Amino acid sequence: MDDIFQDKPLRLLCIDDEARITRALKALFRDCQVELCNDPRQAVAMTANFDPDVVICDQRMPQMQGIDVLRELKTSSPRTMRILLTGYADLKAVLGSVNEGEVYRYVNKPWDNADLRILVFEAARIAREAPVITVDPISEQEAAEARGQVGILVLEDDPVTQQRLREILQAHYQVRFANNAERALQILEQHETGVVISETETSAGDLTGLLKALKQHHPHIATVVITERANAQLAMELINEGQVYRMLIKPVRMGSCRLSVDAAIGRYWKLKRNPRAIQRFALGAAAAATQTGPQVQDSLLARIRNLPSRIVQLVRFGS
Amino acid sequence: MTTAILAITTVLALAAAVFFFLRERKLRAGLVQNEEDAKKREASQAQVIHTTKLASLGQMVAGVAHEINTPLGFVKSNVEVVSDLISEYEAAVTKVMTGVDLLLALDASMVDKAKAAIQKARIELARATTLNEARELLEDSAEGLKQMSGLVMNLKGFARVDRDGMDTIDLNDSIRSALTIAGHQLRDRIHVVQELGEIPKVKCMPSQINQVFLNMITNAAQAMDDDGTLTIRSVAKPNFVEVSFEDTGHGIPDDVLPKIFDPFFTTKPVGEGTGLGLSIVHKIIQGHGGAIRVKSQAGKGTTFFVELPVAQKPAAKAA
Repeated sequence: MDDIFQDKPLRLLCIDDEARITRALKALFRDCQVELCNDPRQAVAMTANFDPDVVICDQRMPQMQGIDVLRELKTSSPRTMRILLTGYADLKAVLGSVNEGEVYRYVNKPWDNADLRILVFEAARIAREAPVITVDPISEQEAAEARGQVGILVLEDDPVTQQRLREILQAHYQVRFANNAERALQILEQHETGVVISETETSAGDLTGLLKALKQHHPHIATVVITERANAQLAMELINEGQVYRMLIKPVRMGSCRLSVDAAIGRYWKLKRNPRAIQRFALGAAAAATQTGPQVQDSLLARIRNLPSRIVQLVRFGS
Repeated sequence: MTTAILAITTVLALAAAVFFFLRERKLRAGLVQNEEDAKKREASQAQVIHTTKLASLGQMVAGVAHEINTPLGFVKSNVEVVSDLISEYEAAVTKVMTGVDLLLALDASMVDKAKAAIQKARIELARATTLNEARELLEDSAEGLKQMSGLVMNLKGFARVDRDGMDTIDLNDSIRSALTIAGHQLRDRIHVVQELGEIPKVKCMPSQINQVFLNMITNAAQAMDDDGTLTIRSVAKPNFVEVSFEDTGHGIPDDVLPKIFDPFFTTKPVGEGTGLGLSIVHKIIQGHGGAIRVKSQAGKGTTFFVELPVAQKPAAKAA
């Protein structure tokens, strides 16, 4: 399919307690090197020898939950791109997959063969080409430097949540507040922004289209979604089409909010130093082609596209 | 003097008459009031049973959707892959046929070369594992279809969509069917032990009894935070069958125990339970002329005993 997989075939690890699922995947990827794992407790040990480009993992297994497997693989095999496969989306699993497993994509059973192949090949290309950035926190010195240079944008029109975020973040970061998309873009145009903390909607309308467009054109900016109306479908859509970094449920809690924002700023800072790693967090061609939900106005889209990148060399996927 | 006594007696008699008349009227009014209350209560209970039925229907759909998506996932994939494998095999056969055709049309000088080509294609064809792979995938698919039709049969049996009203059934079938429906709540964390004895068939309203069993299983699952064991037993007793559900959950405190069958009593957080579950269960079992008992120890677990008479009294009428 792809030249880079000619000499060294794509390596795929499939984890599911149902052997018929893993056999079906092996047959679907019969032109690749596929290892099957029907006991998730063996997964970490298997990656040590196999070094997969991509792992596809079921969520509900009697021995272990998929998100726990993926969280372990994130540290034991950071190069591997993680895809969660699930029969039934429950909110806890979706939130866990983004906040803990940091999955690349969330795929529902029954899957579409052609789409899954495109997705896996895209993920594998990224695994081969994009360097890994570590998940350790950045040093105190670097954090101080980042704080001086990089701001945080809060896009939210609820005064209570605004006040809450001000209390949590103001002392540590340059935080700027926007009540609507228009104001948010002004801030993004004027200030280097590493993290966007956003609701999924304001009284003026939906924001998910904006978040997806922002991700598509500026994948290095981390998105932290805070929402009241948590539902599994929306969360999945935001992972698959918006590559959100964290998803928090209101009311915002001090601990998880600080941790998420610190980690998000850390990632932005590392990506700034190592722009080739950005494509690990970008929307691939497959995701960009299947956008659902409300679209952004053309005028806003043009402004999003023209935002200064502020990262020396923005490597785009596939170019 | 006599007239005075007479007058007083008359007044007393009159007063007494008025008193009794008024009391009688009040009693009558009270009776009517009670009757109306009873009617209203019955109507609202019927409504509640209906609402609970809808809620358990939603639960069923969610459960079955999850159970069915796994076989649907691999069957759908396999069917497409088998079709591709057939195309691949066709291509291999065509190669051999082309060689044969060439050979037949050739003059003697070229025969050796053509033979070699055919030999190569012939070996390739013999080595091809395509057909075996396809056969394996089809075997898996047949098994998947069997799983799916089993689930649908179970769902139909559980909801009794095609039959309603009284029937004589094996309660063990009801237990197994309720377990399948509740499967997605149990599978990951709860160990189920079935000790189903030889029991006589019971005359009952199967759709209601199924609902009771599902409710008992769901309650038990919710009472156990992490790993736990649910033991379900069915035992034949003189003239009735006893089904018990024993969990290893957090138990019911002594002060709560007397209230658990009251309508709207719940210990679950707001939004998670309506508090109608056990009161409905109680009502249904009573309607069948049976009984429900509970034994609980805080921190150790709870056992519910459901007793259903083998021969139903014709008067028993549940909503």
